[in-house]
Amino acid sequence: MSESTAPSVRVSRSRRSSIWMLVAGVVLLAALASLPYVVYANVTDLFVNFFILLTLGVTWNLLAGYAGLVSVGQQAYIGVGAYAVLVLAGDGMSPFLAIPLGALTAAIVSIPVSFIVLHLRGAYFAIATWVVAESFRLAVLRAPSLGGGTGATLYGLAGVDPAVREAFTYWAALAVAAATLIGCYVLLRTRFGLDLTAIRDNEVGARSVGVRIMQAKRIVYVVAAAGAGAAGALLIVSQLNVQAASIFSVQWSAYMIFVALIGGIGTVEGPILGTLAFFLLQQSLAERGAWYLIVVGAVAVLMAMFVPRGLWGLVGDRFRLRLFPTGYWVRPAR
Amino acid sequence: MTEAPLLELDGVSKRFGSIVVADSLSLSLGRADAVGIVGPNGAGKTSLFSLISGDLRPNAGDVRLDGRSITRLDPASRCRLGIARTYQVPRSFEHMTVFENVLVAVHRGAGLRGREAFGLAAQVLDETGLADTANERAGRLGLQQRKRLELARALGARPRLVLLDEVAAGLTDPEVEGLVQIVAGVRARGVAVVWVEHVVRALFGVVERLICLAAGKMIGDGEPRAVLASDAVRDVFLGTDYGEVAPG
Repeated sequence: MSESTAPSVRVSRSRRSSIWMLVAGVVLLAALASLPYVVYANVTDLFVNFFILLTLGVTWNLLAGYAGLVSVGQQAYIGVGAYAVLVLAGDGMSPFLAIPLGALTAAIVSIPVSFIVLHLRGAYFAIATWVVAESFRLAVLRAPSLGGGTGATLYGLAGVDPAVREAFTYWAALAVAAATLIGCYVLLRTRFGLDLTAIRDNEVGARSVGVRIMQAKRIVYVVAAAGAGAAGALLIVSQLNVQAASIFSVQWSAYMIFVALIGGIGTVEGPILGTLAFFLLQQSLAERGAWYLIVVGAVAVLMAMFVPRGLWGLVGDRFRLRLFPTGYWVRPAR
Repeated sequence: MTEAPLLELDGVSKRFGSIVVADSLSLSLGRADAVGIVGPNGAGKTSLFSLISGDLRPNAGDVRLDGRSITRLDPASRCRLGIARTYQVPRSFEHMTVFENVLVAVHRGAGLRGREAFGLAAQVLDETGLADTANERAGRLGLQQRKRLELARALGARPRLVLLDEVAAGLTDPEVEGLVQIVAGVRARGVAVVWVEHVVRALFGVVERLICLAAGKMIGDGEPRAVLASDAVRDVFLGTDYGEVAPG
């Protein structure tokens, strides 16, 4: 092989033009942003929960679906985010402005924790993350200034007109969910994202071609903590109170796993479909009490058994469709 | 004034409980050397690769690259320094395209980005005859192409030393012949090659030095035919006479 015959190729980032996707995304975002002007608060409330779950699902998917870190302890950072907002609002800061700081606090807290839990593998890692979440909960129970076991109320929004407050909560949730999704997508398109995709498919293979696995996992762990922190911050802002038992509940992890698993783990599109599926189930079964949880559990088990690649695995593979193209497409130069 | 050898193993030992996979192995490898490694199953051939690539840490001894100890470095760092390996069971990124598989190695192993990276990835695919499958998902490849992808990924890291672990296993004769030509080409551009292979015929097309391992020990090292003809090696291979397989 000589230099003169070196092939030249053109590389694009998707098979088809994705301009229409961008346009559709902008239109959808604009439509969602104008929602508080058209519908009542009970509808926007529903959307707030949707955005919170979407944020959690997208970040958990990054953790488990790409970095292979099956965490059942993200509620640790949901709690940190919520309590950070509580404390900052107590100091007089606007709770809405405190939301990004809640995410930041969770990210900072996750750094030292990562040095402990990332040395564990598989089930040990999963259990360790849960233990961390429980420790955080117990620590809050012993902190009277945070409300201890009885919970605490978020002040700072008392004087605000409820309609305005709810609209702002909605916009904050939309902003967080959009930033998480877009951030995730942009991350996955970088060289680092390609590393993560390689780790997803084969960790030993990735390591052998020079990918620094531990560093990649740490970055993802911290990013996912920030996402969980933002979700926690949104939760306290939308509920106006926080209780250690519920904010640090392992139930959150169950939701995240459900959303990623149903939608299609290890894809950008999966958690979006998963969150939609979860909400449809929740809404249609809302009046059936315990049946709702049984059905959700059964769906998760059946999907894991028969459709391991999730809803997006079914749709995306069949039609070779990518709403969020992260790959590389090669054409001969001439 | 003598230059340090490319790779040196100095009394490297590795055991798992009572099983010894490397028993105080010492060897030295020059730039652009081409070495074949043979030995019965369980002789420690793959373990030797893992000790060089960093997938295994030795219990004793030192591994040096350019005279510098790399014993404590992880596989990713060793790859970035120029040691790339393939695996017997391919470790491809199944859901990524062939091009993307190689691109990861080019980004991290070779440290290139952007157009330069695309260029090297395309060049490697060309060299390994995979250019036509660039946009194919790795999981859809057949055995021959999968083995070639394993090689392509190692080459994407722009190594100075490439460790090939049974890349010819399971291939048909013409496929082996094609692979030998690719490896000979790699070697011809100055990359040192260490090749573990049961298909000894393949080795003869490339290597000028043969090492025979048995139970973690080196029982032969030298000119390939001489090594295969030696009594120690013949004893180990009783029943599978490699001498007959060797051409000429």
